[in-house]
Amino acid sequence: MTVDLDQYAKPGKSYYLALGLEGSANKIGVGVIKHNLGQLSSTNSAEVLSNVRDTYVTPPGEGFLPRDTARHHRNWVVRIIKDALKVAKVSGSDLDCICFTQGPGMGAPLQSVVIAARTLSQLWDLPLVGVNHCIGHIEMGREITGAQNPVVLYVSGGNTQVIAYSRQRYRIFGETLDIAIGNCLDRFARTLKIPNIPFPGYNIEQMAKKGKHLVPLPYTVKGMDLSMSGILAHIDQLAKQMFSGKKPPVDEETGEPITAEDLCFSLQETLYSMLVEITERAMAHVQSNQVLIVGGVGSNLRLQEMMQLMVQDRKGGSIHATDERFCIDNGIMIAHAGLLSYRTGQTNELWNTVCTQRYRTDEVFVKWRDD
Amino acid sequence: MTDHIVAQAQKILPNIPLSVVSQGAEALVFQTGTHPYCSEESLIHLSNASTFIIKYRPPKPYRHPKIDKQITKSRTIAEAKFMSKLSKLSIPSPDLISIDSINGVIWMGYKGKPLANGEISSLKNWLWWLEKQDDSASLCVSDVVEKVFLNIGALIAKLHLNEMIHGDLTSSNILLEENHDGVFEAVLIDFGLSSYSGLPEDKAVDLYVLERAVLSTHSVHSEIYNEWLLKGYNDMHLSKEFKSKQGSKKLVETIKRLEDVRLRGRKRSMLG
Ligand SMILES: Nc1ncnc2c1ncn2[C@@H]1O[C@H](COP(=O)(O)OP(=O)(O)OP(=O)(O)O)[C@@H](O)[C@H]1O
Ligand SMILES: [Mg+2]
Repeated sequence: MTVDLDQYAKPGKSYYLALGLEGSANKIGVGVIKHNLGQLSSTNSAEVLSNVRDTYVTPPGEGFLPRDTARHHRNWVVRIIKDALKVAKVSGSDLDCICFTQGPGMGAPLQSVVIAARTLSQLWDLPLVGVNHCIGHIEMGREITGAQNPVVLYVSGGNTQVIAYSRQRYRIFGETLDIAIGNCLDRFARTLKIPNIPFPGYNIEQMAKKGKHLVPLPYTVKGMDLSMSGILAHIDQLAKQMFSGKKPPVDEETGEPITAEDLCFSLQETLYSMLVEITERAMAHVQSNQVLIVGGVGSNLRLQEMMQLMVQDRKGGSIHATDERFCIDNGIMIAHAGLLSYRTGQTNELWNTVCTQRYRTDEVFVKWRDD
Repeated sequence: MTDHIVAQAQKILPNIPLSVVSQGAEALVFQTGTHPYCSEESLIHLSNASTFIIKYRPPKPYRHPKIDKQITKSRTIAEAKFMSKLSKLSIPSPDLISIDSINGVIWMGYKGKPLANGEISSLKNWLWWLEKQDDSASLCVSDVVEKVFLNIGALIAKLHLNEMIHGDLTSSNILLEENHDGVFEAVLIDFGLSSYSGLPEDKAVDLYVLERAVLSTHSVHSEIYNEWLLKGYNDMHLSKEFKSKQGSKKLVETIKRLEDVRLRGRKRSMLG
């Protein structure tokens, strides 16, 4: 059985158009998506009409603060919306709904973007649809890759979760017990004073390629959950010793000094092993053989490679990942997930558009699926 | 694509007939009729000893070889030690038969019995099977199910009161066995992540991991299941055996910590 997605179609119109606004962290993104009537499928897939983004970049050694990030988003939001509409060649009157990220994320940036969404909704007399950021990633990932019912590894600056669908909810099987993977990488990048352009994780990945020695780090998998704060504290300490020259760490086997590259290499190998392991644990537990990686850290090629190696050893296993257009925060995924919600009659009245910093993936009722 | 892993196992265990029971996360689990050191004749006199389980942790190609060797060895040893401790405490678990930590092989007793649909009698498979029956609404929360959860809660309490942490409590890692009276009894398996600690924090995380696994895997009735688990856990702490050993004090500490751990989960900052 499938859910009827066309109960709310406008008479005489054969497609839907949605605008999506995302600004839960340091990126502001706006996109326009088009769905034709009928079920989404490989022959009737969603069409990305535009997907525009700008990132708030801070100097090396500094993270992005809520207030400054919100200011960045306010400065850019109108320009980016105009751009997205222009690229898509649509105007406000062509749209069916305005979708926005309702959470989770940073309060001030979320609020600066929802104000734009509310304004457009009043201006063009269009319904608003609040979207859970994580659900945006999952639905966009499924749409782009065609993975029907995968175990999802969602790894980003603020989130680390292993998710699988059951009974109209995306359920969290494993997650971090403390800090998120992206947060862990970003904080270590700050310790090393690595540039934040294009983003810290990317630069760690490039440095890791030049690493030779593996430094032993704690390995903290707890069932399908994991913990990363102890690893970060440990490697931060090593970095400090390396910089200060007091008791600089050396490789156990060769006695050669440990470099910043070695530390990046060791951190990646350890953290990604843990991520792949908990993903495999969830796959075995729910008896699935498909993996979908979403979220910003999902663009890391070493993580993708390791996941590929894991999946190869599982019967009928397959791996799905998207490129940076879709796995790094973007507006199109908000438009897509929001439109699915809209097509099942779920919209938000103005009073119900308050954003929340904490909004768990399993809180969302997935009305558009019933498999 | 698991054939080459089976071949690897066969190379380590030449001339031992192996049939795959399950591909878990870490390990390939086989069934065999051969005992590593007892002759067939001597086995005739042992009850329930015609089938054995071989758990093989193959090298994981995705892990750096240094990490891989270390993990395989330490987990295999941890699992074997934990099993032998459990049997001394008479906590139901498979009997340890032999171990080869370098190759990641553990030989153990077979536990459980296939369900009506042919699947292994893990708690997970059993609950999923119950959910598929016509009268599932009542079956899923019957007295039999309640007893099983109370029993599991009590087993975990026994572990914790002996300062043992399972480390990977899920409904896949609990097998069900029918005893002589036809009552289901829980058997714990899979101790690769086990550790030893008396800290309320470690016990609380152990409980939290199971609570979450029940919530995500058996969501329809998860609330009552988790209630029963905790009731069994409580009762064991307050039982005659443990009351004199500070059972109630430990219980209060762990449950208080569990509430903290849950809150941490819900309140965890999702900021980049
Ligand atoms: N002693 C046993 N008797 C019967 N069946 C068993 C036994 N041990 C394991 N099994 C079956 O094999 C499955 C996998 O075993 P186990 O949980 O030990 O491995 P795993 O999940 O791969 O390990 P890990 O969690 O360490 O990765 C179990 O869920 C169970 O179905
Ligand atoms: Mg297991």
